[in-house]
This record gives sequence, structure tokens and C-alpha cells, in this order.
Amino acid sequence: MDAMAAIKQTFFQECEEQLAELEIGLLAIQDGDVNPETVNAVFRAVHSIKGGAGAFSLDDLVHFAHVFETAMDHLRAGRLAPSHEVLKTMLRAMDVLADFVRAARDGGCVDAERSQTLAKELRALDPDGSGAGSEMDDEEIAFEPVLMDQSMFDDELEAAAAPPVRLFTIRFRPKATLYAKANETALLLREIGLLGEMAIACDASALPLLSELDPEGGYLSWTIELLTTQDEAAIREVFEFVEWDCDLDIESDAASAAPDDIDLAALIQKMQATVEAELSALSPPPTRVDPLAEASRKDADASADPGVIDLAKARQKKSEQAVGEHLGPKPDQGAAGGASQPTIRVDLDRVDRLINLVGELVINQAMLAQRVMEAGLARASGVATGLDELEQLTREIQDSVMAIRAQPVKSVFQRMPRLVREVAAMTGKLVRLVTEGENTEVDKTVIERLADPLTHMIRNAIDHGLESPEARAAAGKPEEGLVHLSALHRSGRIVIEVSDDGAGINRARVKEIAASKGLIAADASLSDEEIDNLIFLPGFSTAPSISDISGRGVGMDVVRRSIQALGGRISITSRPGRGSTFTMSLPLTLAVLDGMVVTVAGQTLVVPLTAIVETLQPKIADVHGFGGGARVIAIREHFTPLIDVGRELDYRGENADPLACVALLVESEGGVRSALLVDAILGQRQVVIKSLEANYRHVPGIAAATILGDGRVALILDVDAVVASSRADSAAFEQSLATAG
Amino acid sequence: MSHAPETGDHAPPVLELPEFLDLKAAAPLVGQLLALRGEELSIDASRVQRLGGQCLQVLLSAAMTWKADEAPLAFINPSPDFIEGLKRLGIAPAEFIDQELPQ
Repeated sequence: MDAMAAIKQTFFQECEEQLAELEIGLLAIQDGDVNPETVNAVFRAVHSIKGGAGAFSLDDLVHFAHVFETAMDHLRAGRLAPSHEVLKTMLRAMDVLADFVRAARDGGCVDAERSQTLAKELRALDPDGSGAGSEMDDEEIAFEPVLMDQSMFDDELEAAAAPPVRLFTIRFRPKATLYAKANETALLLREIGLLGEMAIACDASALPLLSELDPEGGYLSWTIELLTTQDEAAIREVFEFVEWDCDLDIESDAASAAPDDIDLAALIQKMQATVEAELSALSPPPTRVDPLAEASRKDADASADPGVIDLAKARQKKSEQAVGEHLGPKPDQGAAGGASQPTIRVDLDRVDRLINLVGELVINQAMLAQRVMEAGLARASGVATGLDELEQLTREIQDSVMAIRAQPVKSVFQRMPRLVREVAAMTGKLVRLVTEGENTEVDKTVIERLADPLTHMIRNAIDHGLESPEARAAAGKPEEGLVHLSALHRSGRIVIEVSDDGAGINRARVKEIAASKGLIAADASLSDEEIDNLIFLPGFSTAPSISDISGRGVGMDVVRRSIQALGGRISITSRPGRGSTFTMSLPLTLAVLDGMVVTVAGQTLVVPLTAIVETLQPKIADVHGFGGGARVIAIREHFTPLIDVGRELDYRGENADPLACVALLVESEGGVRSALLVDAILGQRQVVIKSLEANYRHVPGIAAATILGDGRVALILDVDAVVASSRADSAAFEQSLATAG
Repeated sequence: MSHAPETGDHAPPVLELPEFLDLKAAAPLVGQLLALRGEELSIDASRVQRLGGQCLQVLLSAAMTWKADEAPLAFINPSPDFIEGLKRLGIAPAEFIDQELPQ
């Protein structure tokens, strides 16, 4: 990836973060948050996106962000009240902004009509009415892209809640190499100026006469006094690319003094004195300084020389701020975001490589343990004890490495409010989404594959679960329906619940539909739970007409399949009139798997534990032939296909004797139960998953592979594929019988 | 960059600064200034749009050199960008320019 593409990628990552901040902030304001810092945070988010987009000439994005930012500025300045309507517009504008960002990243275009409508609505928010309908002035938004994160928004409004102001003294001496690498002092100083209010003094004492001057040397140095709410890191960031090409020294007065007893007036006075001293010491003096010019200099300094800090103003602002607080040793960055911990961005590939290696380590450790056992060393021997400790350590390393890939489900949960808004608007229902446990962590791959099923379930909850406002009012419920989305860790898995306070499952109707579609017998006697689970059957749809939102006839069947593909389970509970709850339980990672180790025709296989319902010893009376070598087994009055895994995988030509085998009752796609016949069960253990596709090629009936403690490769059974292949065999046999007969 | 023709018997030569006083402009500027060393000089800053750190060094050094030579040196017609550039680099324009500041 070239440097520009990498920078752009970082920009888009930052955009996602800013959009998330924006949403959190807007929702907080909607919920009555009146902290000015929250408003500033949302303003900054839009501003940062606009700034970055400007650098990449993403004009459409810049234009929309600018309109949005202008409206936000009215809110920030208190000219616009954060009413429900205003926030609704802003939330929708945020959705459009997100569309623009994604269109810029992934290609494609944004619904022009929608964005124009929103832009118009945003302009109409202008309290003076001057912005309404007016076209943007391009010049107005032509700005130099600068640092993404600046504090250039302070005004009196937020003075009360703003982080404390600190005084930094920055000594900066650029070397010749700084200029040689096309960096420019003037630009660096301008960026520093954007961090707060500053006074600059230039020291030319090292400057030689023109005849001795190297035109491209570095002789000048600068002393900058900066009053800012930012921390030292923000200042250092400005010099990030030139740090090897200059002498840089940053001192903070606030850090060295006790925060409680700083005399602000003295501080300002000291700063003024320093600046004036440096200015007067400035060399060389001009060649022809006449009294008039001297006088005008004094005047200029005292009145309105913007290059030199307006100390009077700064002093005044500082005193105002000091009324409510003392100078803190470290500013609290972004009250809306809370204290941020330092993070680094790492390529996912690198993390995966590490995880892979730790997987190898786990396997190696298991092999070593087995060797030690085979060598007949006593359990209490030093080697065995050391090995136990190694095992402990290995497990801890594995957990920690897995934690690197773990991410909070927040990234998926955050997409849901928008979905809820859109579906609510489409169905005309009033919906409030409450999320809980956003910070629950789970493997990144699981998160990525969670978005689709979750989207579907939320849509379903609103479209099918919640009633219309009128129906709710008639039932004595609040008109606004509630959808609750939560995540939590439970016994080594993540449990995600989607619940609504709607009407609950209409069981009579579900049963009727299932019967009419031939999914169940019309007179079948089913428990409530069984009826509820009918909605997971393929092709089941309760909507009278296929709507745009859900009910395309694929519904919950697809959800269930994608959850199962992740090694998860889904269940439903419903109470008439009170609503329904869908509960998903998923593994925390896809890198390890709980499996049952079995043998089949001398081969060792691993069957995922999530697929297994129970294990049993077949009795001869229960096994019945079904023609063509197919057999069924009676389990509690149900006939279940009995599949010989050894024969299905071509390990053996003949069916094994069920009496000498063990049957695993498994549940596959669509809740179909089958019994898998294996020779013996060796035990249950956690195995590290190795992809067969990546290392060899796809093998039908096999999901992946793992390496066991004895160093042998064991294949992980793809239960769904084995069951499906067995069914296809039976169908082919029946077909051939029909043809023959 | 060019030398304006002398406008009168006692009028000093005028050195017109280019629009962009960046890294590339520093070395030529030194050459031109050295060629005019020792005599009264007016430096016309009316066209300047950008002032960088290295050209500032050259101009400051020139001011020192002219002072050492006891020859008069004046900056004339400073453009707003030139004044802004000086301020940004920590030089109060009034010290540098023999003109009323256009405020």
C-alpha cells in the first residue's frame, strides 16, 4: 500500500471513530445532556471529518459536512435550542454524513435527493434565517487542512466547563536538515498557534553577516509561550515529523507548580515580561529605526498586533476561568469521551500471525506433556511440575493474545440506532432502542459476522414484534415501543439478547401458518416452546404481505443458520401481550473450539460440541434398516436417521455394527436431528482450529483441522455437510428405486 | 526579482522581493543582496505572498550586514502577507519596516 493510501485508510478509520463519537454525543444531547463539552465533542467530530475530507479533496463530503457543521455551530453558540426536532434532523444528517464517508471509502454514491433534503433542513435551522436556502460560498469552506484534533473552539460559552488552561514554554531551533526536507518553520509555528494563544519571540543572536551566511543553514531559534487547554502531546504532535531535525524543548509552568496555589496574574505577568524581554533583545536591530517607527511599534504592540498575543484578553479570560477552578496538572480531555487510554493501530495480519504462533505453542506444549508422560516420569518430578507451570503460562498467553483480537460489541451495536430510526420511520411505529453491555468483548471475526443476523432480528422485532402506536395505546401500553439489545459474558460465551415489549408471538397464527405451509401436521400437538420455534423453520413468514423491511420469507431461518455457522445457538421466549426475547449464545472466539474427540475406523475426529445434543449407546431393537443401506434409530419414539460417519467419509465400505459403536445425536441446519455413528469417544477438549482451505484445500464433510497432543492431525467434522450429504445419498437411492420400479 | 531603475539622483536602488520567499528563494536572494552590499538599499516587499524561515534569516542577516556597513537599508511597500509572515515568525513588523503599518 502506498503512503497516501495508508493515510487515507487511517482517515477513514478516524472517520468511523468520529461518527461514533458524533452519534454518542447527539444521543446524549437528545437525552437531555446539557454539558457544553458534549456539544463541543459533536462539533469537533464533524469538523474533523470535514478537515480530513478537505485534505483528500472529497468535495461532496466537505460540502455536506460544512452545512452540518454550520448548523452545529448554532447549537454550540446557544443560538439554537436542542429541541427534539432539531436533534432528529441532526441524527438523520449524521446518517447521511456516514453515507458520504462510506461512499468516499468504498465507491458508490449517496442518495442525492436525501442529502439535498437534509442539507436544506440543516440550513433551515439557522436561527437568523440567513442560511435558509442560501447556497454555500465555496470560499467559506476553502481552508487549509490542519491537525485533526485541535482546541480552537473555546469561547466564553464553554469557559466554565472547559479543561484547564496551561502555559507552555516551547524552545524550538530548526536545523538545516529541517528545511532540506521541505519542512517550514512558518507552518509549524502556525499550527502551534492553532492550539491556543501564543506569543513568539525570534532569537537571531546566532545569525552571521550575509557574507558568512549559508543560505540554507539554520541559525534562528524561537521561544513560544503558549496558553492552551491541550496537553504536551498535542504540541509534540505538531513537531512529529521534524523531531530529528530540530532542538525542541517544551516546559509546562503548570506542571511544576502546585495546582492549588497558582497566582494567575503573576503567571500572565511573567509571561508578558518574558515575551517583552525576548522582543527587546531581538537582534539585529533595524538599520534605520526612527522615533516615529519606534512609537508606532509600541502602539502596535499595545493595541492590536495579532502576531503578538493579546495578553490583556488572555488575562481576562484566564481570570474568568479561574473563578470556578484551579489549574489542574493535566487537562481532562473531552468530557464526553472520558479519559482515553493510549492505543496503537496494528495490522490484523500481524495479530493473526501471533495468534497462529500461540496456537502452535499450545499444541507443542501438549505434545511435550505427552512425551513426558510416555517417558514414564513421575507426576511429582521436577519436569512434570515445570510442565504444569508451562501449561498455565501458555494458557495465559493464549487468553491475552485472544484478548487483542477481542473488540467490544459496541461497533455493531452502534449501527443499530440508525436501523431503528429507519425501520421506525418506514413502519410508522414509535420505537426506543435501549442498549446494554456495549463494552462486552468478543473476537473480531464474530463481531463482523454478527451484524447481519442482529440487523435482521432488530428489524423483525420492530416490524413483527411491536404493535402500532394506536394498538399499543388501546392495550394500555405507552405508544413508544421498546427494543432492548444487550450483551453479556456467561460461562465462556457471549450472550446477546434482543427483546421487545410488543404483542409476543401469536401462537395460534404461527401454528396455522406452519400447517398451511405443510411444515407441521394440521392436528399436531405442540408445546408453546415448539410453536415458538416454528418461526425458525426455512420458508416460514408470518407477515401477510412481504414487506420491504423484513418478511422476505427468509427471516429467522437465515438468522439461525448464520448463528449456527458461528458455532452459536439461538432460542426464543415469548409471552403473549408482553413481548418476545431472542437469546443468542456465541463462542468468544473462532480460533479455538470445544470439541468431542472421537475415533472412526482408526481415524481421530473432532465433533464440535455445540452441535451435539446427547450421546447414546444404540440398542439392536432401536435400529431399523431403511433400504439402500440407510438406517434409522428410534430415540424416545422419534425415528432419526442414523449416519455412519466412517462410511460417509469413505473410511470404510460397509456400515459399522451399531452395537459396537456410539451414537451422537446432533442438531444441524434447520433444527434437523440426526444420529452420527462413531466407534468410540476419547474425550472432550478445547482444540486450536487450523484452516484446511488455507493450508490444503476444501474437503467435503470436514470443516477444519487441529493438531492433537500426540502430534497427529485430527480433522474437525462439518456436521451440517455430513448430514446433508447423507440425505442426498438417500434421495439418490430413492430416485434410483423409483426409476427401477 | 529585478532591480527597478533608479528613479532619481539620490534614490537608492530597489530590490524587489519575489512572491514566494521559500527554501528555493534563499540562495538567490543572498546572491542578489551581496551584489548590492555597501550601498543604500530599498527592499520592496509588495509582491510577497509567503515568507519562510530561511528567507527570514537572509533578510535579518542583510539588515545586520547593512548596519555593520553603516549603509541605510529600508523595507518598502510591505504586502499584508509579508507583514503577517513576519508576525508569524516572531518579528514585530514595526522593527523591520520603515513604513507606517497598514492596520
